Amino acid sequence: MTQDNVPGAAPSLSRLVQELNRLPGIGPKSAQRLAYYIIRLPDEEATALADAVTAAKQNIIFCEHCQNLTDASPCSICSDPRRDQTIVCVVEEPLDILALERTRSYRGLYHVLHGVISPINGIGPDQIKLKELFSRLAQPDLVELVVATNPTLEGEATAMYIRRHQGREDLRVTHLARGLPVGGSLEYSDETTLSRAFQGRQEL
Amino acid sequence: MAPPRTYRCEAITLSHTPLGEADLLVTMYTRDQGKVRAVGKGARRSTSKLMGHLEPLTIVKLSLAHGRNMDVISQAEVVDGFATLKGDLTAIAKGQYLAELVGGFGAEESANPGLFQLMIDTLRAVAANPQSDTPLRFFELHLLQVSGLSPELYQCVECRVELEPGAHRFSPNVGGTLCLECSPDDAHLRPLSLRALKILRHFDRSNIYEACNIAIDDELAEELKSLLLTTVSYWLGKEIRSNSFLERLHNESLSEV
Ligand SMILES: [Zn+2]
Ligand SMILES: [Zn+2]
Repeated sequence: MTQDNVPGAAPSLSRLVQELNRLPGIGPKSAQRLAYYIIRLPDEEATALADAVTAAKQNIIFCEHCQNLTDASPCSICSDPRRDQTIVCVVEEPLDILALERTRSYRGLYHVLHGVISPINGIGPDQIKLKELFSRLAQPDLVELVVATNPTLEGEATAMYIRRHQGREDLRVTHLARGLPVGGSLEYSDETTLSRAFQGRQEL
Repeated sequence: MAPPRTYRCEAITLSHTPLGEADLLVTMYTRDQGKVRAVGKGARRSTSKLMGHLEPLTIVKLSLAHGRNMDVISQAEVVDGFATLKGDLTAIAKGQYLAELVGGFGAEESANPGLFQLMIDTLRAVAANPQSDTPLRFFELHLLQVSGLSPELYQCVECRVELEPGAHRFSPNVGGTLCLECSPDDAHLRPLSLRALKILRHFDRSNIYEACNIAIDDELAEELKSLLLTTVSYWLGKEIRSNSFLERLHNESLSEV
Protein backbone atom coordinates (compact mmCIF):
# COMPACT_ATOMS: atom_id res chain seq x y z
CA MET A 1 0.00 0.00 0.00
CA THR A 2 1.81 3.11 -1.14
CA GLN A 3 0.27 6.48 -0.57
CA ASP A 4 3.19 8.41 -2.02
CA ASN A 5 1.57 9.47 -5.24
CA VAL A 6 -1.95 10.13 -4.04
CA PRO A 7 -2.75 13.67 -5.18
CA GLY A 8 -3.87 15.89 -2.32
CA ALA A 9 -2.32 13.78 0.46
CA ALA A 10 0.43 15.59 2.35
CA PRO A 11 3.63 13.49 2.43
CA SER A 12 3.93 13.46 6.24
CA LEU A 13 0.30 12.35 6.55
CA SER A 14 0.91 9.60 3.99
CA ARG A 15 3.87 8.44 6.01
CA LEU A 16 1.74 8.15 9.15
CA VAL A 17 -0.92 6.20 7.23
CA GLN A 18 1.74 3.84 5.90
CA GLU A 19 3.21 3.21 9.34
CA LEU A 20 -0.22 2.52 10.85
CA ASN A 21 -1.06 0.24 7.94
CA ARG A 22 1.86 -2.00 8.96
CA LEU A 23 0.21 -2.81 12.30
CA PRO A 24 -1.52 -6.19 12.57
CA GLY A 25 -5.25 -6.01 11.89
CA ILE A 26 -5.07 -2.45 10.51
CA GLY A 27 -6.08 -2.25 6.86
CA PRO A 28 -5.56 0.80 4.62
CA LYS A 29 -9.01 2.23 5.46
CA SER A 30 -8.51 1.93 9.22
CA ALA A 31 -5.00 3.35 8.89
CA GLN A 32 -6.42 6.43 7.16
CA ARG A 33 -9.13 6.88 9.79
CA LEU A 34 -6.59 6.58 12.61
CA ALA A 35 -4.14 8.96 10.92
CA TYR A 36 -6.80 11.67 10.53
CA TYR A 37 -7.88 11.11 14.12
CA ILE A 38 -4.32 11.52 15.38
CA ILE A 39 -3.77 14.67 13.31
CA ARG A 40 -6.87 16.26 14.89
CA LEU A 41 -5.76 15.42 18.45
CA PRO A 42 -4.61 18.31 20.69
CA ASP A 43 -0.81 18.62 20.51
CA GLU A 44 -0.21 17.27 24.02
CA GLU A 45 -2.29 14.12 23.39
CA ALA A 46 -0.50 13.35 20.15
CA THR A 47 2.86 13.91 21.86
CA ALA A 48 1.81 11.63 24.75
CA LEU A 49 1.02 8.88 22.21
CA ALA A 50 4.37 9.29 20.45
CA ASP A 51 6.19 9.36 23.82
CA ALA A 52 4.41 6.19 24.96
CA VAL A 53 5.56 4.37 21.81
CA THR A 54 9.16 5.55 22.28
CA ALA A 55 9.24 4.82 26.03
CA ALA A 56 7.76 1.33 25.61
CA LYS A 57 10.27 0.57 22.90
CA GLN A 58 13.17 1.83 25.05
CA ASN A 59 12.19 0.39 28.43
CA ILE A 60 10.63 -2.97 27.65
CA ILE A 61 13.01 -5.89 28.02
CA PHE A 62 12.70 -9.66 28.27
CA CYS A 63 12.46 -11.03 31.82
CA GLU A 64 15.64 -13.04 32.37
CA HIS A 65 13.64 -16.00 33.74
CA CYS A 66 10.31 -16.23 31.92
CA GLN A 67 11.11 -14.13 28.81
CA ASN A 68 7.91 -12.13 29.26
CA LEU A 69 8.06 -8.46 28.31
CA THR A 70 8.75 -6.34 31.37
CA ASP A 71 10.05 -2.95 32.55
CA ALA A 72 12.38 -4.61 35.07
CA SER A 73 13.89 -8.07 35.20
CA PRO A 74 12.93 -10.35 36.94
CA CYS A 75 9.34 -9.45 36.14
CA SER A 76 6.61 -8.96 38.76
CA ILE A 77 5.44 -12.59 38.48
CA CYS A 78 8.90 -14.15 38.69
CA SER A 79 9.83 -11.99 41.68
CA ASP A 80 6.57 -12.64 43.58
CA PRO A 81 7.36 -14.99 46.53
CA ARG A 82 3.70 -16.06 46.75
CA ARG A 83 3.85 -17.74 43.32
CA ASP A 84 4.40 -21.49 43.28
CA GLN A 85 8.03 -21.95 42.18
CA THR A 86 7.65 -25.65 41.42
CA ILE A 87 5.48 -25.29 38.32
CA VAL A 88 6.09 -23.52 35.01
CA CYS A 89 3.45 -22.94 32.34
CA VAL A 90 4.73 -22.51 28.76
CA VAL A 91 2.77 -20.13 26.51
CA GLU A 92 3.26 -18.86 22.97
CA GLU A 93 2.77 -15.12 23.52
CA PRO A 94 2.74 -12.56 26.39
CA LEU A 95 -1.00 -12.02 25.81
CA ASP A 96 -1.60 -15.65 26.74
CA ILE A 97 -0.31 -14.86 30.26
CA LEU A 98 -2.89 -12.09 30.60
CA ALA A 99 -5.63 -14.53 29.54
CA LEU A 100 -4.50 -17.18 32.03
CA GLU A 101 -4.05 -14.62 34.85
CA ARG A 102 -7.64 -13.46 34.33
CA THR A 103 -8.83 -16.96 35.28
CA ARG A 104 -7.15 -16.61 38.73
CA SER A 105 -6.83 -20.41 38.78
CA TYR A 106 -3.10 -20.67 38.24
CA ARG A 107 -0.49 -19.53 40.77
CA GLY A 108 2.74 -20.88 39.28
CA LEU A 109 5.34 -19.33 36.99
CA TYR A 110 5.33 -18.86 33.22
CA HIS A 111 7.62 -19.14 30.23
CA VAL A 112 6.93 -17.21 27.02
CA LEU A 113 8.19 -18.76 23.77
CA HIS A 114 7.41 -15.72 21.60
CA GLY A 115 6.13 -17.89 18.79
CA VAL A 116 5.82 -21.52 17.75
CA ILE A 117 7.90 -23.78 15.56
CA SER A 118 6.68 -22.94 12.05
CA PRO A 119 8.99 -24.60 9.50
CA ILE A 120 7.06 -23.24 6.52
CA ASN A 121 7.77 -19.70 7.77
CA GLY A 122 11.41 -20.49 8.50
CA ILE A 123 10.88 -20.52 12.29
CA GLY A 124 12.71 -23.41 13.93
CA PRO A 125 13.46 -24.23 17.59
CA ASP A 126 16.32 -21.70 17.66
CA GLN A 127 14.10 -18.80 16.63
CA ILE A 128 11.87 -19.02 19.71
CA LYS A 129 12.76 -19.03 23.42
CA LEU A 130 13.21 -22.80 23.74
CA LYS A 131 16.88 -22.80 24.68
CA GLU A 132 15.98 -20.52 27.61
CA LEU A 133 13.19 -22.91 28.61
CA PHE A 134 15.38 -26.00 28.56
CA SER A 135 18.08 -24.34 30.65
CA ARG A 136 15.42 -23.33 33.21
CA LEU A 137 14.22 -26.91 33.49
CA ALA A 138 17.54 -27.94 35.02
CA GLN A 139 16.39 -26.45 38.35
CA PRO A 140 15.63 -29.49 40.52
CA ASP A 141 12.86 -27.82 42.56
CA LEU A 142 10.75 -27.64 39.43
CA VAL A 143 8.30 -30.56 39.40
CA GLU A 144 5.74 -29.77 36.69
CA LEU A 145 5.77 -28.24 33.25
CA VAL A 146 2.37 -27.27 31.84
CA VAL A 147 2.57 -26.87 28.07
CA ALA A 148 -0.15 -24.38 27.16
CA THR A 149 0.60 -23.80 23.47
CA ASN A 150 -2.47 -23.30 21.29
CA PRO A 151 -4.26 -26.46 20.09
CA THR A 152 -3.25 -25.71 16.49
CA LEU A 153 -1.05 -27.88 14.29
CA GLU A 154 2.01 -25.73 14.98
CA GLY A 155 1.18 -25.34 18.68
CA GLU A 156 0.84 -29.12 19.06
CA ALA A 157 4.06 -29.75 17.13
CA THR A 158 5.88 -27.31 19.43
CA ALA A 159 4.41 -29.09 22.47
CA MET A 160 5.63 -32.46 21.16
CA TYR A 161 9.07 -30.98 20.51
CA ILE A 162 9.22 -29.70 24.12
CA ARG A 163 8.14 -33.07 25.51
CA ARG A 164 10.77 -34.87 23.44
CA HIS A 165 13.61 -32.50 24.35
CA GLN A 166 12.97 -31.48 27.93
CA GLY A 167 15.48 -34.07 29.13
CA ARG A 168 14.30 -34.74 32.70
CA GLU A 169 12.74 -38.09 33.48
CA ASP A 170 11.40 -36.94 36.85
CA LEU A 171 9.56 -33.91 35.44
CA ARG A 172 5.79 -34.10 35.13
CA VAL A 173 4.82 -32.69 31.71
CA THR A 174 1.15 -31.88 31.22
CA HIS A 175 -0.94 -29.97 28.70
CA LEU A 176 -4.27 -28.20 28.93
CA ALA A 177 -7.40 -30.29 28.38
CA ARG A 178 -8.74 -30.27 24.85
CA GLY A 179 -12.45 -30.09 24.50
CA LEU A 180 -15.57 -28.21 23.59
CA PRO A 181 -15.52 -24.44 23.90
CA VAL A 182 -18.10 -22.91 26.24
CA GLY A 183 -20.92 -21.71 24.00
CA GLY A 184 -19.89 -24.09 21.22
CA SER A 185 -21.95 -26.93 19.82
CA LEU A 186 -21.42 -30.63 19.11
CA GLU A 187 -22.88 -30.32 15.64
CA TYR A 188 -20.28 -27.86 14.44
CA SER A 189 -17.29 -29.33 16.26
CA ASP A 190 -14.58 -30.90 14.14
CA GLU A 191 -13.81 -34.59 14.61
CA THR A 192 -10.49 -34.01 16.42
CA THR A 193 -12.05 -31.72 19.03
CA LEU A 194 -14.98 -34.08 19.54
CA SER A 195 -12.89 -37.21 19.92
CA ARG A 196 -10.56 -35.47 22.41
CA ALA A 197 -13.53 -34.10 24.34
CA PHE A 198 -14.87 -37.65 24.50
CA GLN A 199 -11.56 -39.04 25.74
CA GLY A 200 -11.44 -36.34 28.41
CA ARG A 201 -14.99 -36.93 29.70
CA GLN A 202 -15.51 -36.54 33.46
CA GLU A 203 -17.96 -37.65 36.18
CA LEU A 204 -21.12 -35.62 36.05
CA MET B 1 -27.26 -6.31 -6.54
CA ALA B 2 -26.98 -9.98 -7.51
CA PRO B 3 -26.35 -12.38 -4.64
CA PRO B 4 -22.74 -13.58 -4.44
CA ARG B 5 -22.12 -16.75 -6.42
CA THR B 6 -21.24 -19.70 -4.20
CA TYR B 7 -19.46 -22.90 -5.02
CA ARG B 8 -18.47 -26.11 -3.28
CA CYS B 9 -15.11 -27.79 -3.41
CA GLU B 10 -12.96 -30.44 -1.82
CA ALA B 11 -9.60 -29.24 -0.59
CA ILE B 12 -6.55 -30.12 1.46
CA THR B 13 -5.60 -27.20 3.70
CA LEU B 14 -1.93 -26.21 3.48
CA SER B 15 -1.43 -23.31 5.88
CA HIS B 16 -3.17 -20.32 7.40
CA THR B 17 -2.34 -16.92 8.79
CA PRO B 18 -4.39 -14.69 11.09
CA LEU B 19 -6.20 -11.87 9.35
CA GLY B 20 -7.71 -8.89 11.16
CA GLU B 21 -9.32 -9.39 14.58
CA ALA B 22 -10.65 -12.91 14.26
CA ASP B 23 -10.43 -14.00 10.61
CA LEU B 24 -8.20 -16.63 9.12
CA LEU B 25 -6.60 -16.50 5.67
CA VAL B 26 -6.45 -20.12 4.54
CA THR B 27 -4.26 -21.44 1.73
CA MET B 28 -5.51 -24.73 0.35
CA TYR B 29 -5.19 -26.98 -2.63
CA THR B 30 -8.49 -27.95 -4.20
CA ARG B 31 -9.23 -30.85 -6.49
CA ASP B 32 -11.02 -28.74 -9.10
CA GLN B 33 -9.64 -25.18 -8.83
CA GLY B 34 -5.98 -25.68 -7.95
CA LYS B 35 -4.56 -23.45 -5.24
CA VAL B 36 -7.12 -21.24 -3.51
CA ARG B 37 -6.68 -18.60 -0.82
CA ALA B 38 -9.87 -17.86 1.04
CA VAL B 39 -11.02 -16.10 4.20
CA GLY B 40 -12.66 -17.85 7.14
CA LYS B 41 -14.64 -15.00 8.73
CA GLY B 42 -14.40 -15.12 12.52
CA ALA B 43 -12.70 -18.53 12.27
CA ARG B 44 -10.35 -17.74 15.17
CA ARG B 45 -13.20 -17.26 17.65
CA SER B 46 -13.63 -20.33 19.82
CA THR B 47 -17.36 -20.32 19.12
CA SER B 48 -17.01 -20.16 15.33
CA LYS B 49 -18.48 -23.14 13.51
CA LEU B 50 -15.36 -23.05 11.31
CA MET B 51 -13.08 -23.43 14.35
CA GLY B 52 -10.82 -26.46 14.04
CA HIS B 53 -12.02 -27.35 10.53
CA LEU B 54 -9.39 -25.28 8.75
CA GLU B 55 -6.20 -26.46 10.48
CA PRO B 56 -3.42 -27.29 8.02
CA LEU B 57 -3.34 -30.83 6.62
CA THR B 58 -7.07 -31.46 6.74
CA ILE B 59 -9.22 -32.70 3.87
CA VAL B 60 -12.34 -30.54 3.91
CA LYS B 61 -15.49 -30.06 1.89
CA LEU B 62 -16.12 -26.34 1.66
CA SER B 63 -18.79 -23.94 0.54
CA LEU B 64 -17.26 -20.72 -0.70
CA ALA B 65 -18.70 -17.42 -1.86
CA HIS B 66 -16.89 -15.31 -4.43
CA GLY B 67 -15.84 -12.12 -2.69
CA ARG B 68 -14.58 -8.79 -4.02
CA ASN B 69 -10.94 -9.52 -3.23
CA MET B 70 -10.92 -13.04 -1.93
CA ASP B 71 -13.37 -15.89 -1.65
CA VAL B 72 -15.08 -16.37 1.69
CA ILE B 73 -15.57 -19.74 3.36
CA SER B 74 -19.18 -20.11 4.47
CA GLN B 75 -19.17 -23.77 5.53
CA ALA B 76 -16.57 -26.42 6.22
CA GLU B 77 -16.92 -30.12 6.84
CA VAL B 78 -13.94 -32.31 7.74
CA VAL B 79 -13.50 -35.38 5.54
CA ASP B 80 -10.19 -36.49 7.05
CA GLY B 81 -8.23 -34.66 9.76
CA PHE B 82 -5.22 -37.04 9.60
CA ALA B 83 -5.41 -37.54 13.38
CA THR B 84 -2.75 -40.30 13.36
CA LEU B 85 -0.29 -38.16 11.43
CA LYS B 86 -0.87 -35.26 13.81
CA GLY B 87 0.06 -37.39 16.79
CA ASP B 88 3.68 -37.73 15.61
CA LEU B 89 6.14 -34.84 15.45
CA THR B 90 8.17 -36.24 12.53
CA ALA B 91 5.00 -36.97 10.56
CA ILE B 92 3.75 -33.42 11.13
CA ALA B 93 7.08 -32.00 9.94
CA LYS B 94 6.84 -34.15 6.82
CA GLY B 95 3.28 -33.02 6.23
CA GLN B 96 4.39 -29.38 6.50
CA TYR B 97 7.16 -30.08 3.99
CA LEU B 98 4.63 -31.57 1.53
CA ALA B 99 2.33 -28.58 2.10
CA GLU B 100 5.11 -26.14 1.28
CA LEU B 101 5.87 -27.95 -1.98
CA VAL B 102 2.21 -28.23 -3.02
CA GLY B 103 1.81 -24.52 -2.27
CA GLY B 104 4.93 -23.77 -4.29
CA PHE B 105 4.21 -25.92 -7.34
CA GLY B 106 0.40 -25.66 -7.37
CA ALA B 107 -0.99 -22.76 -9.39
CA GLU B 108 -4.10 -20.71 -8.71
CA GLU B 109 -7.08 -21.14 -11.04
CA SER B 110 -5.47 -24.15 -12.67
CA ALA B 111 -6.82 -27.56 -11.67
CA ASN B 112 -4.38 -30.40 -11.24
CA PRO B 113 -6.30 -33.34 -9.73
CA GLY B 114 -3.14 -35.48 -9.98
CA LEU B 115 -1.32 -33.16 -7.58
CA PHE B 116 -4.30 -33.13 -5.19
CA GLN B 117 -4.40 -36.93 -5.13
CA LEU B 118 -0.60 -37.19 -4.79
CA MET B 119 -0.69 -34.98 -1.70
CA ILE B 120 -3.40 -37.08 -0.06
CA ASP B 121 -1.79 -40.43 -0.93
CA THR B 122 1.54 -39.21 0.43
CA LEU B 123 0.03 -37.92 3.69
CA ARG B 124 -1.56 -41.36 4.19
CA ALA B 125 1.77 -43.10 3.49
CA VAL B 126 3.55 -40.78 5.95
CA ALA B 127 0.91 -41.46 8.61
CA ALA B 128 1.34 -45.23 8.06
CA ASN B 129 5.11 -45.06 8.58
CA PRO B 130 6.31 -41.70 9.95
CA GLN B 131 9.95 -42.77 10.17
CA SER B 132 10.32 -43.75 6.50
CA ASP B 133 11.50 -41.10 4.05
CA THR B 134 10.40 -43.15 1.02
CA PRO B 135 6.97 -41.43 0.76
CA LEU B 136 8.74 -38.05 0.46
CA ARG B 137 11.05 -39.29 -2.29
CA PHE B 138 8.11 -40.80 -4.20
CA PHE B 139 6.25 -37.52 -3.74
CA GLU B 140 9.15 -35.42 -5.08
CA LEU B 141 9.50 -37.48 -8.27
CA HIS B 142 5.76 -37.54 -8.92
CA LEU B 143 5.44 -33.84 -8.02
CA LEU B 144 7.81 -33.11 -10.91
CA GLN B 145 5.80 -35.43 -13.17
CA VAL B 146 2.35 -34.00 -12.42
CA SER B 147 3.85 -30.50 -12.82
CA GLY B 148 5.05 -31.34 -16.35
CA LEU B 149 8.71 -31.43 -15.25
CA SER B 150 9.31 -35.19 -15.46
CA PRO B 151 13.00 -35.96 -15.37
CA GLU B 152 14.22 -38.38 -18.04
CA LEU B 153 15.16 -41.74 -16.50
CA TYR B 154 15.65 -44.08 -19.47
CA GLN B 155 17.80 -42.30 -22.08
CA CYS B 156 20.58 -39.75 -22.20
CA VAL B 157 18.80 -36.38 -22.50
CA GLU B 158 21.53 -35.15 -24.89
CA CYS B 159 22.32 -37.99 -27.35
CA ARG B 160 19.17 -40.07 -26.71
CA VAL B 161 21.10 -43.32 -26.31
CA GLU B 162 19.36 -45.93 -24.13
CA LEU B 163 21.17 -46.10 -20.79
CA GLU B 164 23.01 -49.39 -20.23
CA PRO B 165 23.33 -50.77 -16.69
CA GLY B 166 26.20 -48.90 -15.05
CA ALA B 167 27.05 -45.59 -13.48
CA HIS B 168 25.46 -42.51 -15.08
CA ARG B 169 25.00 -38.88 -14.34
CA PHE B 170 21.97 -36.78 -13.56
CA SER B 171 21.37 -33.13 -14.22
CA PRO B 172 18.52 -31.35 -12.43
CA ASN B 173 18.52 -28.43 -14.87
CA VAL B 174 18.80 -30.12 -18.27
CA GLY B 175 16.08 -32.61 -17.42
CA GLY B 176 17.40 -35.92 -16.15
CA THR B 177 19.86 -38.70 -16.92
CA LEU B 178 23.00 -38.32 -19.04
CA CYS B 179 25.45 -40.87 -20.41
CA LEU B 180 29.10 -40.54 -19.42
CA GLU B 181 30.08 -39.01 -22.79
CA CYS B 182 27.67 -36.08 -22.90
CA SER B 183 28.29 -32.85 -20.98
CA PRO B 184 25.92 -30.15 -22.24
CA ASP B 185 26.95 -26.57 -21.49
CA ASP B 186 25.82 -25.27 -18.11
CA ALA B 187 24.41 -28.64 -17.02
CA HIS B 188 24.76 -29.13 -13.27
CA LEU B 189 26.06 -32.68 -13.34
CA ARG B 190 25.82 -35.12 -10.44
CA PRO B 191 26.90 -38.73 -10.30
CA LEU B 192 24.01 -41.22 -10.34
CA SER B 193 24.49 -44.77 -9.08
CA LEU B 194 22.80 -47.65 -10.83
CA ARG B 195 21.01 -48.51 -7.58
CA ALA B 196 19.53 -45.02 -7.36
CA LEU B 197 18.48 -45.09 -11.02
CA LYS B 198 16.68 -48.40 -10.46
CA ILE B 199 14.78 -46.97 -7.50
CA LEU B 200 13.77 -43.88 -9.48
CA ARG B 201 12.48 -46.10 -12.30
CA HIS B 202 10.63 -48.23 -9.78
CA PHE B 203 9.00 -45.09 -8.30
CA ASP B 204 8.14 -43.96 -11.82
CA ARG B 205 6.25 -47.16 -12.60
CA SER B 206 4.61 -47.82 -9.21
CA ASN B 207 1.94 -46.42 -7.00
CA ILE B 208 2.99 -45.13 -3.59
CA TYR B 209 2.10 -48.35 -1.75
CA GLU B 210 4.31 -50.46 -4.02
CA ALA B 211 7.08 -47.85 -3.84
CA CYS B 212 7.03 -47.83 -0.03
CA ASN B 213 7.40 -51.60 0.18
CA ILE B 214 10.93 -51.58 -1.16
CA ALA B 215 13.87 -51.62 1.25
CA ILE B 216 16.29 -48.69 0.86
CA ASP B 217 19.49 -48.58 2.90
CA ASP B 218 20.80 -45.34 4.45
CA GLU B 219 23.44 -44.63 1.81
CA LEU B 220 20.98 -45.04 -1.04
CA ALA B 221 18.38 -42.98 0.86
CA GLU B 222 20.90 -40.12 1.18
CA GLU B 223 21.73 -40.23 -2.55
CA LEU B 224 18.05 -40.15 -3.53
CA LYS B 225 17.29 -37.36 -1.06
CA SER B 226 20.12 -35.18 -2.29
CA LEU B 227 19.26 -35.75 -5.95
CA LEU B 228 15.52 -35.18 -5.66
CA LEU B 229 15.79 -32.24 -3.23
CA THR B 230 18.25 -30.49 -5.53
CA THR B 231 15.96 -31.04 -8.51
CA VAL B 232 12.81 -29.93 -6.72
CA SER B 233 14.37 -26.79 -5.25
CA TYR B 234 15.90 -25.99 -8.66
CA TRP B 235 12.42 -25.94 -10.20
CA LEU B 236 10.90 -24.21 -7.19
CA GLY B 237 13.49 -21.47 -7.68
CA LYS B 238 14.16 -21.15 -3.95
CA GLU B 239 15.15 -23.12 -0.90
CA ILE B 240 12.51 -25.35 0.68
CA ARG B 241 12.18 -23.70 4.08
CA SER B 242 10.51 -26.49 5.98
CA ASN B 243 13.30 -28.88 5.07
CA SER B 244 15.67 -27.50 7.71
CA PHE B 245 13.40 -28.56 10.60
CA LEU B 246 12.95 -31.97 8.97
CA GLU B 247 16.74 -32.33 8.68
CA ARG B 248 17.13 -31.33 12.31
CA LEU B 249 14.70 -34.03 13.47
CA HIS B 250 16.44 -36.52 11.19
CA ASN B 251 19.89 -35.72 12.63
CA GLU B 252 18.56 -35.87 16.19
CA SER B 253 17.09 -39.32 15.56
CA LEU B 254 20.47 -40.49 14.21
CA SER B 255 22.31 -39.24 17.30
CA GLU B 256 19.86 -41.03 19.63
CA VAL B 257 20.65 -44.47 18.16
ZN1 LIG C 1 9.51 -13.28 34.55
ZN1 LIG D 1 24.69 -38.94 -24.14
